[in-house]
Amino acid sequence: MADAGDRMFCHACGGVWLHNAGDMTCPHCESDFTEIIEIPPDPDADPPPDRPPSAPAPARARPNPWADHNPWAHQEDDDLDHGWGSGTGTGTATGNGNGNGNGNGFTHRTYRSPDGRFTFSTTTYTHGFPRRTPPSQRPVNDPLMPMVQGLDSIFNGLASTYRQQNAPGSTSSQPPTPDRDRGRTLGSFEFDIEADGRTGRQEGLHPRDADGPQPMNSPLRTLSDILELFRSDFGTNTQVGADGVRVVTGPNPLAMLSTLLNFERHGDAVYSQEELDRVISQLIEQNANRGAPPPAPATAIQSLPKKKVDAEMLGSEGRAECSICMDTVDLGTEVTMLPCKHWFHYHCIELWLNQHNTCPHCRRSIDASQ
Amino acid sequence: MGSQKRIAKELAELVESPPEGIVVKLADESNLYTWNVYMDGPEGSPYYNGKFILNLSLPTEYPFKPPTVSFKTKIYHPNVTNDDKGSMCLGMLRADEWKPSSRIQAVLQFARQLLAEPMPDDAVEGRIAEQYKNDRKRYDEVAKEWTRKYAIAS
Repeated sequence: MADAGDRMFCHACGGVWLHNAGDMTCPHCESDFTEIIEIPPDPDADPPPDRPPSAPAPARARPNPWADHNPWAHQEDDDLDHGWGSGTGTGTATGNGNGNGNGNGFTHRTYRSPDGRFTFSTTTYTHGFPRRTPPSQRPVNDPLMPMVQGLDSIFNGLASTYRQQNAPGSTSSQPPTPDRDRGRTLGSFEFDIEADGRTGRQEGLHPRDADGPQPMNSPLRTLSDILELFRSDFGTNTQVGADGVRVVTGPNPLAMLSTLLNFERHGDAVYSQEELDRVISQLIEQNANRGAPPPAPATAIQSLPKKKVDAEMLGSEGRAECSICMDTVDLGTEVTMLPCKHWFHYHCIELWLNQHNTCPHCRRSIDASQ
Repeated sequence: MGSQKRIAKELAELVESPPEGIVVKLADESNLYTWNVYMDGPEGSPYYNGKFILNLSLPTEYPFKPPTVSFKTKIYHPNVTNDDKGSMCLGMLRADEWKPSSRIQAVLQFARQLLAEPMPDDAVEGRIAEQYKNDRKRYDEVAKEWTRKYAIAS
């Protein structure tokens, strides 16, 4: 069965390890902000605490490993990194896919993409039966706390991703994109919306600040709103034991799932005029940059006819200028003529055609066949 | 480069024969790419008598990329964002509409024309556009009030 040794929990990195008498420092981050957790010798014998009325105080009979730990007690922004979930800033998140754990007990895994934009952390509680399915797949037979903590760490992961994105300079890994490039960046826009911005590049999304600085979609608030829902769930199921210990029993797993699904759905929906405006203006911006005609092929540019300016081309005024550089063009100067008969310095029109394949005057395509 | 030459030329023309109600000046004499524009509110509009300061910013790729125009003076207008940027949405400045043969003078005249005749269907401030269309009197009042408050030098 599960070994009865006490576990140590590190508040700095969230690591858990077997208690080694006398040594109170965390082997992972060497913090001494640690705590001894007493693990009941046979946690599986615990009746499933998802029926509060029928099993009023299951945890009162024996020491409860989480008796003094309410995962929802600290969900303020400042505290999100702290606790069971190892956030990006702390814990094991130093490389790609770190994990630590010791057989029975907790396994913490934090995955982080090389650019730091994706963070995913999980907490698995295996208590004594190695290689069994994760607790989240058998919510009824298990104490629900591991699942809740798994969710908690997922939320923590999400939250820290957000904070990372919102932190100043956090997007500096991407070079500042000129307008045209921004259009390309906006190509991921749809994806961002669907994923509720979790993986989004915020720099590509430019709210137009219609009424002063708009709150940036307040993703954290949304998250904590959802956590609030959970909390109220807990609220009804929380009992104060005779010894004054708060016993947190699990909420209805179905309710949690449906809340999660709602959360997923939230990604596609906008609930306020402001948000809608934001989305629309993004689409407009996206479209504006996309609508520009594509560059002309170099061969097409080179094969444009060249001509020496004659009196007829100068028109009635007897003088003309290249409308790109606005320099006067004298008689006899060699210019390049487009199929629409508009002409420019070769050097000038080349620069334009390298970006757009239309006449700078009348916007006709330089492709003569059109 | 070529762009500097053209910009200098355009600036010279604008300084020499400024269009009605528009005065331009380099924000910094050593930098051709940022202009200050002083624009009088056109007569017959609620912006009349107001002096608006605009910022004209030219990209280094000018004239192959469009300039951007923003209001430094706060203005109540459907086509100007009501924030600290004061970005003005000009159709001709959009990437797909811009052509290098457009001149700054035309851009500025177009901007001033927009003060006289807002384009609510191309608005960046939806609420103001709504009001412009449905409650012109109130729009005029607010625009006048803002002009008095922000655009008239004391």
